[in-house]
Parts: sequence; structure tokens; C-alpha cells
Amino acid sequence: MEYGYYPGCSLTGSAQRLNTTTKKVFKKLGHDLKEIPDWHCCGAFEYGDRNELIGFSKSNLKKAEDYFNDIVAPCPACYKNLKEANQEEGNRFSIIHPLDMFEYSDIVASTAVKHDLKGRLFTPYYGCVLLRPKETAIKNKDIMESVITHFGGEVDGDKVKDRCCGGNQFFINKWATERLSKLIIDKTRGDLVVFCPLCHMALKTFSENRKIIYFNDLLLYVMGETDKL
Amino acid sequence: MQKTNSNNEHRTKNIAYRDNRVFEMSGYKREDFSVCLGCKICASVCTVNDLSADSNPQELLSSLFLGRTIENDNPLVRFCTNCYRCTHNCPWGIRIPEVIRAFRETLGVESQFEKAFKGAIKIWGRVYEPYVFLMSATFMLKEGYMRYMPKWLEYMSFHLPHKIKGR
Repeated sequence: MEYGYYPGCSLTGSAQRLNTTTKKVFKKLGHDLKEIPDWHCCGAFEYGDRNELIGFSKSNLKKAEDYFNDIVAPCPACYKNLKEANQEEGNRFSIIHPLDMFEYSDIVASTAVKHDLKGRLFTPYYGCVLLRPKETAIKNKDIMESVITHFGGEVDGDKVKDRCCGGNQFFINKWATERLSKLIIDKTRGDLVVFCPLCHMALKTFSENRKIIYFNDLLLYVMGETDKL
Repeated sequence: MQKTNSNNEHRTKNIAYRDNRVFEMSGYKREDFSVCLGCKICASVCTVNDLSADSNPQELLSSLFLGRTIENDNPLVRFCTNCYRCTHNCPWGIRIPEVIRAFRETLGVESQFEKAFKGAIKIWGRVYEPYVFLMSATFMLKEGYMRYMPKWLEYMSFHLPHKIKGR
């Protein structure tokens, strides 16, 4: 199946890894992602005027309307803004986050396991906007835990599941991000598994030697696309 | 005495103007905050508690409702991370981070980085990261971000900016 794809600005730059791995995972599972032509930045959380902010995503939906019904947005901020705009426009599209795209059973059923995760410990960390507010939150709030444990991995991190890494303050008050990220790092064990580019950068910057992995990389490792995690 | 009265009048007008802008931008009306029960659940879950001792979103909402002054150095205005823990737990689901974002914009307290971010969107319709870093270079140098460069190598790539057609 072909899906509309909204990568968002960071996936064309610093989070390019999330872009390439999302495309690879979808391809592996038999789906194609096609970019919305000439998409505009979603504005992230940088605008005080809500109409201006949601207006960006409304214009992106307009650009998609001749081509797609279903749009995939991997970046949590883009996903939230696009989903809110769609709700205001009468839910004409289905806005999908990759974590909601595949039910746990689909991943399990369609994945030939090349590497299992036995003997490895992970902390799945969703960040804020994938889980809140509830109107735009993802449906599968435990999918990372389910997938990791199914493939033999051990999971930690329930204590920090609803905490914030402070990524939004990273380029305003970095001490604030450092303090909040360290609270997450210090209270968890194992490799940190994330889906948000800002969480990835904040946790990576302020951890001594913890591994920060995109969930896609973990899936691709299990599928045998890469031999190293 | 006359001067004091005139100062107070001026101040009240400023607050009224500010409040109207905040309501207009956040999409809320003053009466929307009258439902706040004062339960302070928002304050008990606020991420800013980990950064500052006196963060209280409920107080900010009631100041807005009653037309009281809110200072630029209010911890929420300075440190809100847009985590939406307050909204998630609020019995009315009030979207406090969006009210705070409107406040920040009204008060003009954007950082150099935030200005550069919006500047890129104005030029190209998208954020072009090299431009944002260049435009906020003095801030980044002064604040010591350069020491993280070795860790940021994996985030670096080169591409030219793409100017989009239409908004």
C-alpha cells in the first residue's frame, strides 16, 4: 500500500537517520511512503498564535488532498500538529504515527527474526507528545515494550514513561534540558529506545555512555537489515 | 497622587491589552478559565517543578482570569517544556502550554535560536538547520554548546535549502 509521507524539517537534516530507517521499515513490511509535494514546516512548538501554527498543517493537508487519504508522520511534533489540523478539518485524512501503523501482532507475524534481543536490556522512552494530550496521542502506548519483550529483550523504565526530557528547552536553557534528561538517564537501565529526534539528541548529549537507539533501528536489527545495534 | 493614578491606569490598560492578545492567540476566552477548580493537579505534575521551586500553572490561569500582572521571569514563562502533563491531568483538559506559548510571544521573550528557527521558515517555508545554527552562533558559543559537537557528529549532513512553492 502507498501512504502519504510527511517527514518534517528535522528528518531532512539532523534526524535523517529516522527518515531512512522509517522508509526501510515500511518497505520491509510491504508499504511505500510518498512525500506530500512541497510540504511546509509544521511550526513545531515555536508559535504562540495557535491559528498560525495549525494553519501550517492545514495547508499541508490541502497539498495532500489530491493524492492521499492516509498520511504517515514519524516526528512526534509534526504528527501532533498534523493530527490537530485534521481534527479541525473534519478528519478527512487518517494521520498515522509509525508506532500506530502496525499492531503488535502485524509486526510479530510479518517479521522473520534474524537477531533476537535475548540477554539485552532496554528502556523504551516515548517522550511527551506521543502520549499527550490524549486527543492526539498514539493508540499503542505499550508497543515498544511489547515488541522488545516478544523478541526476547528485557524492559525497564516504567518510572520515567510519562516524564519529559526537556528537549524543548534545549536551545533556550540547556541546563534545564540537562537536568531533566539526567533524571531519565539516571533512573533507568539499558539502552534507551526512542522515536523522537529531540529526545534522541537531548538524551545523547547528556548521557555519559548510554546507547540511544531509534525504535526503527531496533526493528531493522531484529529483521536482519543490520548486524549491529 | 495624580501621577500614581495615571500610572495605575496605564498598567491596567497594558494588562488588558496583553490578556486580549493571549486569549486571541491561544484560542481561549477569559470565561473558559472560570471552570478552573483550583485543584492544583497541574502544579503537582508540572515538569517545571524539577527546575524551579515555585511553578504553579493554576496561579497563572487565575492571574489571567482576574487580569493580574504576570512577570516575564515567571518560571512557567521561562521554562515550560510543552510536555502537556498539566493538560493530561487537568479535569477540564485546559491546554496550559498553549496559553504559555501565547504569553511568551506577547512578552517577546523568544531566544535567538527561536527567532532563527522562525526566520528560516519565513525564508524557505521550512527549517534549514545550518541557517538556524549560523544565526544563533553567538548564543551557542556563549552558552557553551560547542563542547557537544563530538556527540553531534552523527546528526550532521549536508543538503541545500529547499524553498517551497506557496504556503
